[in-house]
Amino acid sequence: MSAPLPTIRNKQPFDAGRATYLTLNGLLLAFLLAPIAIVLVFALNPTPYISFPPVGVSLRWFEKFFRTPEFTNALFLSLWVAGCVLVLSIVIGGACALALARGNLPGRSFLTAFFMSPLMLPAILTGLALFQSYLLAGIGRPVWGLIMAHTLVAVPYVIRTTLAVLHNFDRRIEEAAAVLGASPTRVFFEVTLPLIRPGVFAGGVFAFIVSFDQFPVSLFLVVPKGETLPVVLFNYMKFDLDGAIAAASMVSILLALSVVLVLERLIGLRAYVKL
Amino acid sequence: MISRRTVLGTGALAAATLAAPSILHAQTKTLKITTWGGKWGDIMKATVLPAFEKEFKCTVSADQAFPYVPKLQASPKNDPLYDVLHTNSNEQWNCFTEGLVMDKITPKEAPNVADVYPWAASDKIVGVAIFTSAIGLGFRTDKGLTKPTSWKDLADPKLAGARGSYIIPVNSLGQCHLMMLGKIYGKGLQDLDAAYKALEQLKPIKLVDFTGQMEKMLLSGEVSMGVIHDSGVYRYDGQNQPVDFASPSEGVMALEQVLNVTPGSKVKELAFAYVDYMLRPDTQKLLAEGVWYSPANKKVKLDAKYDEKLLTTEAKVATLIQPDWKWYNARKEDIDARVTKILKG
Repeated sequence: MSAPLPTIRNKQPFDAGRATYLTLNGLLLAFLLAPIAIVLVFALNPTPYISFPPVGVSLRWFEKFFRTPEFTNALFLSLWVAGCVLVLSIVIGGACALALARGNLPGRSFLTAFFMSPLMLPAILTGLALFQSYLLAGIGRPVWGLIMAHTLVAVPYVIRTTLAVLHNFDRRIEEAAAVLGASPTRVFFEVTLPLIRPGVFAGGVFAFIVSFDQFPVSLFLVVPKGETLPVVLFNYMKFDLDGAIAAASMVSILLALSVVLVLERLIGLRAYVKL
Repeated sequence: MISRRTVLGTGALAAATLAAPSILHAQTKTLKITTWGGKWGDIMKATVLPAFEKEFKCTVSADQAFPYVPKLQASPKNDPLYDVLHTNSNEQWNCFTEGLVMDKITPKEAPNVADVYPWAASDKIVGVAIFTSAIGLGFRTDKGLTKPTSWKDLADPKLAGARGSYIIPVNSLGQCHLMMLGKIYGKGLQDLDAAYKALEQLKPIKLVDFTGQMEKMLLSGEVSMGVIHDSGVYRYDGQNQPVDFASPSEGVMALEQVLNVTPGSKVKELAFAYVDYMLRPDTQKLLAEGVWYSPANKKVKLDAKYDEKLLTTEAKVATLIQPDWKWYNARKEDIDARVTKILKG
């Protein structure tokens, strides 16, 4: 009987580069997630003021949030506005991106910069300018005015992500469809649109989040009893700085995350990540 | 047989019935006001505004979303965004300087103005003040501190890092505190050099931007003594919180709640009626006891526990010091730059 062979341990050498890489990634993640963790701690802390360390765990602030009509009405209004902005941004932004990429438009660079300009202008000025324009036009501050304002700042996101997809688009696929007898409309809906969909929807996700969290533009455009959640939270904070603010923030974060997940289920996050 | 007259009569009745809501709506005036949030806003929305709407057969659109003044400034003067502006006194003075609000509201326009304490319609007020709070010192009762008797007590070295005030450029309580420093360490409220010097000595100091934050800092123990308005402490009365309010012997600063009417208002009579309504003794009592504000109307009789603490007699209101906001606002940019430099970091 032969002696048992010594066990060979496949020991990998210490990789300092990889360790550094993982550590940096861990620190970056902690940096990004720490504020959310702190907000969660505040939301669950039962004291009537924001303090650290927490003295216990309670859902009283979540209960207060959902039992206060000002909060829930504002939440539904924000969701409604963000939903409309998502649809409008996709339609307008997608069309603009196609025109910019395919239209052979004169002054294409200028037009691209023009459509991106809402991102360069401080949002508070956009809100103030629209507020004055609406009042001068005598239309007051209707909800559709708020939706238009949010759309204005959200469209550049859709344009940018769609242009990124169109940049790598192989037009020979469209030509092949046309050669095979497909009409231009059919080519658009059955070839072009499915291929640029990840870019359009990725921009739509940004548009939704930008609108849902929009504060500076909304500040001047909301009306009494028609305030969006960020505006209600800001005003609440001036008088009652308690855990309801943190609970509202958690609800807001979870809703935004839900939308991203739903869209991921619909269009696939992998396609989005490729961008 | 249906006659022509019957058809016409029935048609007219039907048309009138269908049009009635819009006619009624057209006749219902809307008063656009600003108002605070928090407990004040709750009482206004639940009780005061519905009662006013019922009595004056109007609707009130109450804006609780800051910032009121920039929105008013951006709206046309001949069709302002608000009919009645409710702010603290410093902002009213800004608006008055720009012609956005009226100078004074007299008993002719709002009869209850005849019953207010002199401070509520003094030369330091544009429009009319409906309430005031007293800005003094709030302190923790569980930190072994003796009740402060002077504004100078805030400078006690033991309070280093545990004293609190406000970010002066954005908060009128901080601005009041700065002026008070000029009074107690210098020649008067307008002695800015003395105030700056005294402010330097208060470092390290915790600063907050929103007024409501200071009471939370006191409650959480982050601050042991801080500049605060009395209502910010009294509202925790009976809740076993280790905080109390002290009125320094040098006097308390007034934090007035001021109402004013915009000259371009299309419903000026209704606006004056609202100001008058807010000065009625029953409205004043409801709000004063709800949020611990001292009423402007001399005829208001508060319940004993409120009467004991709030400024409800001539002798008590004599301790109120009203800042000259016109003077302060004219120098605000320079003051902001200086205090930011002093308190940087």
